[in-house]
Amino acid sequence: MTLHHQLRLVAPPSAQPVTKLLDGVVIFPALGSTPLVAPEGDDLSLHLMRYGDRPVMQGSEGLALITRMHDVGLTGRGGGHFPTGRKWESVRRAGPGVIAVANGAEGEPASGKDAALLQQRPHLVVDGLVCAAEAVGASECVVWLHRGAHRTRSVLERALHDRVARGLIEPRIRIELGPDRYLTGEATAVMQALAGGPALPQMARNPAVPWGDGHRPILVNNVETLARTAILARTEVGEYRRTSLVTVVNHDTRIVCEADPWEKVADLVGAHWRSPSGVGFDAPQAILLGGYGGSWVPWFDAAGLDVDPDALRSHGLSIGAGVIAPLPSDACGIAEAASLVSYLSDSSARQCGPCLFGLAAVAELMADLASGSMGRAEHRRLDRFLGDIVGRGACKHPDGAVRMLSSAFSAFAEDVHSHRTRGHCLVTTRAANSSTVLPIPVRA
Amino acid sequence: MSGRLRSPGSAASIGQVAHLRVDPVLCDGVGLCALIAPALIAVDAWGYPILSNGSVARREFRSAKAAVAACPRRALFLADQ
Repeated sequence: MTLHHQLRLVAPPSAQPVTKLLDGVVIFPALGSTPLVAPEGDDLSLHLMRYGDRPVMQGSEGLALITRMHDVGLTGRGGGHFPTGRKWESVRRAGPGVIAVANGAEGEPASGKDAALLQQRPHLVVDGLVCAAEAVGASECVVWLHRGAHRTRSVLERALHDRVARGLIEPRIRIELGPDRYLTGEATAVMQALAGGPALPQMARNPAVPWGDGHRPILVNNVETLARTAILARTEVGEYRRTSLVTVVNHDTRIVCEADPWEKVADLVGAHWRSPSGVGFDAPQAILLGGYGGSWVPWFDAAGLDVDPDALRSHGLSIGAGVIAPLPSDACGIAEAASLVSYLSDSSARQCGPCLFGLAAVAELMADLASGSMGRAEHRRLDRFLGDIVGRGACKHPDGAVRMLSSAFSAFAEDVHSHRTRGHCLVTTRAANSSTVLPIPVRA
Repeated sequence: MSGRLRSPGSAASIGQVAHLRVDPVLCDGVGLCALIAPALIAVDAWGYPILSNGSVARREFRSAKAAVAACPRRALFLADQ
């Protein structure tokens, strides 16, 4: 693997605009947001040298930026991939008094891209946040983080301090902290928390006002989306480079890199992943794409896929939060899926019955399937439960769990059959009770 | 036929297409709605309502309104979409 420990020479502002988000890779441990290896992050002087001044986005400039978002097809990079320009337009109409939020509460434990970006390019994210505030007419700016994201927070505090010291003309930007839970970064949880409630997802009775009737409009954007916005604000449509921040999950590390749209899944996995037991490159049997609520794709199908939101969507897949988690050839996909759904069930906000009770029931049945002790009636029950849970939570958390399991049943179909009818795994040579590969946070 | 409604207010009550929806955060699975409007609402294995997806037919409108009115958690509601 190639590591760029040193910054490359920074181009002067007069040259071609810089359109990349990262220089080299950032390596995190299996869990947590403090990196093991990272290039030096940008301070304000370096940031201004690299990207140039932030263009003002008030009035017609803001509208032009929204048009450019439509033109390049910019979508939210938190996982939902809703068109960013459309979100900005609707909040702009709902103003004034908007609160603009940079959402850096990365709930997905497998993902490190938001932490990497905030630590490497804090000023690019904040530039994007200020552009958003100007374009939609926001009077307040917030960076939303997990309480436990200490490294990220200290980098940002320093960045915000430097911007004030330099006298940049922009609204006051404050950091707000939410609990260290999976769903703290869910957009409606952010909205409820900023309105003075608990940081838990809520249901919008009127989808046009997701922040709730009578509350101040809130624009929540993922930090990668905002960094892309800050680049788009400085470039023409033709110059914009459609890259994606991706986290490749190893058994002991997570490696964040920036992928160009023509790069294949196999390129990234080949460069950044090693099988825990393998010598040289031992191809994985499948990858989990998007996040823990994403999709399992057999390696044969996954290897040739382009790492690009639109290209993946054309295959019925989503890059989600940018996670690529390869499954080693000797690991049991069903045991992994069972472990993940148990984690997702524990991470439920425990507000909606179908998620609270449904995911718990499904997790129990999956544990039976993984251990090879599932009867025919239980299998039918599992099928029925999966169908019953979808679309019935206030947020998409239960839907993600079902998507992950349904894709596991198709990616590991033969092995599911073996677990069910013969009571043992086709693939693994590991002990049945050995730990799973994908990292699972300990429940707080 | 009881599709015509006297109470003014929401778009749903003036003869437009209405959808029965539930706020799953508020819903505690009490289950009165499924007893009152069994043609529109089923319950899952845990007692929580599963709503039919489409719009509420004219002839079902009265029972939909009754189910909404009966919900002790005010979780059930009629919406335009």
